[in-house]
Amino acid sequence: MSLIRSLAAGLRSLFRKEQVDRELDDELAGFLEMATEEKIKSGMSREDARREVRLEMGSPEVAKEIVGAASWESLVETSWQDLRFAARMLRKNPSFTTVAVLTLALGIAANTTVLSWISATLLNPIPGVAHTSDLVTVMRGDRTDHPTPPFSYPDLRDLSERTQSFSGLLGYHDDYMSLTSAAKPERLYGALTSANYFDVLGVRPILGRTFLPEEGTPRAGAAVIVIGYAVWQNHFAGDPQIVGKTIQINRHPYSVIGVAPRDFTGCAPGLRAELWIPLSMDRDVWGADRPSRRGTFWLNVLGKLRPGVTKDQAQDELNLLMRGIAERFPEDHRDSPNEISFDPLWRSPFGINGYLYKILPMLLGLAGVLLLLACANVASLLLVRSVGRRREIAIRLGMGASRKQIIRQFLIESLLLGLLGGTAAIAITVWTSHSLVAFFPPSNIPLTNDAHVDQRVLFVTIAVSVLAAIISGVLPALRSSSLPVQSVLKEEATSVSLTLHKGRLLSGLVVAQISLSLVLLVCAGLFTRSLQKAQQSDPGFEASHLLLASYELSPAGYTRATGVAFNRQVLDRLSALPGVESVTLADFSPLSFSIHTDYLQIEGYVPQPHESMEISRAFVGPNYFRTLRTSVISGREFTASDTPDSQFVAVVNQAFVDRYWPGESAIGKQVTNWGERFTVVGVARNAKYRLLTSPTEPVIYFPIYQMSSTTQDNTIHLRTTSDPLTMASSVEETIHQLNPELPLFNVNPLSVTMQLGTLFGRVAATFAGSFGLLAVLLAAVGIYGVVAYTTRQRAREIGIRVALGAEKGGIYSLVLGQGFRLTLAGLVVGTALALAFTHLLKAQLFGVSETDAITFTSVGLLLAVVALVACHIPARRATRVDPMVALRHE
Amino acid sequence: MKEKTGEVVQGTLDMLIMKTLALEPMHGYGIAQRIEQISKGVFRVNAGSLFVALQRLERGGLIRSEWNVSENNRRAKYYLLSERGRKRLSTEAREWGRQVAAIARILEA
Repeated sequence: MSLIRSLAAGLRSLFRKEQVDRELDDELAGFLEMATEEKIKSGMSREDARREVRLEMGSPEVAKEIVGAASWESLVETSWQDLRFAARMLRKNPSFTTVAVLTLALGIAANTTVLSWISATLLNPIPGVAHTSDLVTVMRGDRTDHPTPPFSYPDLRDLSERTQSFSGLLGYHDDYMSLTSAAKPERLYGALTSANYFDVLGVRPILGRTFLPEEGTPRAGAAVIVIGYAVWQNHFAGDPQIVGKTIQINRHPYSVIGVAPRDFTGCAPGLRAELWIPLSMDRDVWGADRPSRRGTFWLNVLGKLRPGVTKDQAQDELNLLMRGIAERFPEDHRDSPNEISFDPLWRSPFGINGYLYKILPMLLGLAGVLLLLACANVASLLLVRSVGRRREIAIRLGMGASRKQIIRQFLIESLLLGLLGGTAAIAITVWTSHSLVAFFPPSNIPLTNDAHVDQRVLFVTIAVSVLAAIISGVLPALRSSSLPVQSVLKEEATSVSLTLHKGRLLSGLVVAQISLSLVLLVCAGLFTRSLQKAQQSDPGFEASHLLLASYELSPAGYTRATGVAFNRQVLDRLSALPGVESVTLADFSPLSFSIHTDYLQIEGYVPQPHESMEISRAFVGPNYFRTLRTSVISGREFTASDTPDSQFVAVVNQAFVDRYWPGESAIGKQVTNWGERFTVVGVARNAKYRLLTSPTEPVIYFPIYQMSSTTQDNTIHLRTTSDPLTMASSVEETIHQLNPELPLFNVNPLSVTMQLGTLFGRVAATFAGSFGLLAVLLAAVGIYGVVAYTTRQRAREIGIRVALGAEKGGIYSLVLGQGFRLTLAGLVVGTALALAFTHLLKAQLFGVSETDAITFTSVGLLLAVVALVACHIPARRATRVDPMVALRHE
Repeated sequence: MKEKTGEVVQGTLDMLIMKTLALEPMHGYGIAQRIEQISKGVFRVNAGSLFVALQRLERGGLIRSEWNVSENNRRAKYYLLSERGRKRLSTEAREWGRQVAAIARILEA
């Protein structure tokens, strides 16, 4: 109650200051009058009485001040005055203000940019699902860089039925589908899901309903579909009557039962799904019959933990259940590991977070270092400026201002700088938050990223701005407020020199700036060098002059036989085009996360217990190795005569031989896949298909004409004699002569699409690199500012030296030496810091050690040169000091 | 030389003001006068502290104020003890009595 009353009264006196003031004036005047009259009554003259009262009660102004200062609103008022004063001071010195605000803005923006990405990916892994903390991804086996779906439908069903720890386990399989009811088939990413998919996620449709439990069981024949908001808008013009209408997916009719909310894009982080169909429809959509097979692992699984159940308990339970399943069906679970592991969605192995969760926190760390550097920079600016304001401060202290008031004044000034910097940072971030998307090359993966300045980013920006203001402002404020008032006031303004303390603090700040920028530069250098190494590394194929173009056959109505015939025609026609050196087909393209895996049985090889026999496999056409320029070491490559009717053959890479048949000849050995036996006819050189930075892994190739189904993408690989893009239109023409209806997608040079394989390296190198450049710039400005400033302070001393006959060279090296000593100290401290820091990057580096001598040396040299150039300017100026002018300046 | 007068004991001014107002509504000067008179000049109330205390008490809801005309036809702000103030005064007075008695016992021991 009294708090509210006090608040109300305080607000009243804040906003109706004049009236409150007048009342207090009246009251005090009345007091004065009454006291005077009392004295007169007792026989004093009016004048004596007045004087007496004055002496007793003091000046009414002071009394008023005391009354005013006792209330909380007076603090607000003085702070407001301080703020206005601070704004005036900043306006008076626009160049200082601009540099300080810009420095803080860049430092803060680096953080908020990375944060906007983290906010949109790691902290909001499934847009449209608000609470993901009780959701986990369920995996079998150890975590890998390229996980494959871990569960079969019967396994998932058994786990779902028995688990007590989860309120729901959902399964999904995502891939492209084609919307074939439109005039031109449209490729959209979608998922086959378990019936409880939307319920487990807690996603409600904005129109219609989601799946019923019975629609999820195999062979239920529920041809129903939930469509995404964008599909509804773009393909059906937001038709409010869409529910109940029929659309065609891969040439099969589905009844639309619902529309998903706008934000929702499925539950694989960073991948945009737009269609959802019950997994019982696998045969219609992808021509397979996976739901009924216990040994076919094709579903990604997410579980919602029951309240109060810990992840460990749930993991123990699922492990127990999974072991039981594996024991009951040993045939189906022999070749794959059966231990269950969980991941929270922010590092879900499926989708983009599996990669981002490693690099984004690292970038945030680097951005934090940059901000510290910016703070050190601004702190030294403030300190230098506060020396110029010594007289002002001394006068205020002399007039009775308390030290607390001076500190408050200074902190309010830096707070103002921080908030201005934060505002500018938000403006920068609005723009830079979208830059992550710019790194996504055209690809076969429906990458999506919606980083923007959201509430979280806004809130953190404000917090960071205040923090930065305090970090950069507190030391200068403390230092400036402890002045020996008398001596300062006696000094002449021009002869003010740095106190020893302040000089040391300034030097410390310069050393901090140099060392922090060394840390950032070393990280930038390491990332850049490892990206370079990756890009220069031999991928095992030749990427230049290769044009890619993809098409899908089964959505276009082809069967296996007509598909093979069509592919043959495509290759024949294309190879006849002028400018084509050779051409082939594959069901994947290198370095674009598109290679598939299969569980293989390998002749003569006994897997270790729990060893995964899931191995990368590619379907490739005749002349694949010739076209990609991957040499075949022994045996032969595929030809047009490897058909469904001839012997089933395979080619393996060297890594495959080294791993499974070490020291033996691979030719003639047999590998079983999908119950078919393939005979190895060739061994190829190792090539990298996932990431340039991952180690070479075993790969097996099968002839595309012997492929068991037509569900996969067919990607044309065309080696051209000139710029591959010039061939794009004639390739399209050729295909459309064969089938005018067949859409071609991703017509791009391989050199472009394989950028996806270096995506994360490029993000890290680019951002660490720009942080590093900013750091050098800030450090250069910092050291220049401090050396220039101290040199100006020493003008008199230098003048005396010159007058006494010092050589110009001596003066030059005097000033340069000061800068050089600071730089050297900064380099030593920075190297120690960097060595302590860089081992955290180790996992992200490729081909360079985290203590790479070349990086450390060249960064050190670069910084030394930059620092010396920055010191050269004031040193040169010092040599031009005219002793007469400097000495007369007093 | 004048008789030695002192500031009111720390923390008791509020209580003394409330006690004064418990008798009748009074303006600031009157309160100061009365405290000085009743204490036989032992306590002298500084105008600054008095008005800070009045502001504090008013915001605490222990006293109210209104402008009125004084005995010699002067406009003055009169303070009144509120019901809450009355209750607070009685508890504070009781507590004060207890403490003074205790201190006296210690000093006499």
